[in-house]
Amino acid sequence: MSNENFRRELGHVFDDMTGSPSGALSDRVRSSLAEAPEQRGPFWIAGVAAAVIAAVLIAVLFVGNPLNRPGNTIGPGAGASPTPSATVAPTPDSNLPAFVCGTSTSLVPKTASTPPPLAYVSAVRTGTHPGYDRLTIEFVGGQWSSIDVSPQSGTTFTNSPMGDQVTLSGKNGILVIIHGADMHTSYAGPGDVKTGYATLVEVRGLEDFEGVVQLGMGVSGGACYRAFILTDPARLVIDVQAG
Amino acid sequence: MQPMRPFLHLTGRNMFAAVMEHRPQLIKSAAAGDADSFATLIEPLLDPAYRLAAVMLADRSSAEDAVQEASIKAWRKLRQLRGDLSSLRPWFLSIVANECRMARRQRWWSVLKMAEVPPAELAPEGGGSDLRRALLKLSPEERLPLVLHFYLDLPLDEVAVALRVSPSAAKSRIYRAAKRLRSDLTLEEVF
Repeated sequence: MSNENFRRELGHVFDDMTGSPSGALSDRVRSSLAEAPEQRGPFWIAGVAAAVIAAVLIAVLFVGNPLNRPGNTIGPGAGASPTPSATVAPTPDSNLPAFVCGTSTSLVPKTASTPPPLAYVSAVRTGTHPGYDRLTIEFVGGQWSSIDVSPQSGTTFTNSPMGDQVTLSGKNGILVIIHGADMHTSYAGPGDVKTGYATLVEVRGLEDFEGVVQLGMGVSGGACYRAFILTDPARLVIDVQAG
Repeated sequence: MQPMRPFLHLTGRNMFAAVMEHRPQLIKSAAAGDADSFATLIEPLLDPAYRLAAVMLADRSSAEDAVQEASIKAWRKLRQLRGDLSSLRPWFLSIVANECRMARRQRWWSVLKMAEVPPAELAPEGGGSDLRRALLKLSPEERLPLVLHFYLDLPLDEVAVALRVSPSAAKSRIYRAAKRLRSDLTLEEVF
């Protein structure tokens, strides 16, 4: 079959498929064009207006924030660059435990049960607040079995199970050990973040092995802290007292 | 001179030629905001636009809707042409093709149905020719370069503009789709 024959036969097939447009198509188009506003100008104006509104909003949010507090969010899919933390709602201080210095804290679930499935760390967030910096570890899935929070002098921690030592930024440290959890099923964020805050300066993963998760916190001050659990979603919150 | 092909739409072609003679004035008026001039400018393109849309959407009513919507979008995007009137036809057809893609996405469920089962109005009666059956098996995206090149008779450079690819990529897409219709086609037979 030559090119011309192929083209001709294909043309017949296409003709059969399409038929002819209705006689009203031209009028339909002409009519809709006459009614359609020419939006090139308005689009341009709308774009500029949107940019101005966005700039004003950003300025208001930035200047109007009395605390002017930065925050880091480390969560599934999040990159290493800091982003404002907005998921942890402020908790009234009167409902929180007092800050402690130099003593360990153990947290256990209120209801004991048969060995539950592991709690999966799904997000690790940091934020700074008046008087303290906050680390929030969020869980999905099952229930952790216990959490130990231990302050220490210096910021040298032991990676587990390798056994090598790592030194974090800051002056003192807080070691967080979570039993009955893992940090690799639902968490895809970075394992180390330098916050840039005045008090809590670095958080680093130390262990994620056989149902045990360890995190080291490097702090610039005396490592006074309070640790507590929030629910819906399940979160471990550790506030490090400023100054 | 090429022999006249029986399926070409002479009315549309002649009208296009006539409009082309006056297009500098029309495009000037259209650019100044005269919708009627723009309608006159694209009027000879409505027939090929409809045929392209009918092949892509496999539905004649939807094809007319797509052409109408594409005409409005083209009117609003006229500045994109930047006075390059030689690109008017492929530029407009590319907008039509894009409108067809959007229409298919908006009713993806019916598109799936159409891709699998040709609608009654397109289904060949009594089986149809081998070429027709092969054509109906192609996806709309595969039919697009065939429509532009073989049916609407666009030169390769205009097919490339309409497909928004390079001329060599357009050539490749035309040949690949044509080979799916007839596996023994050679490049020389296609171009």
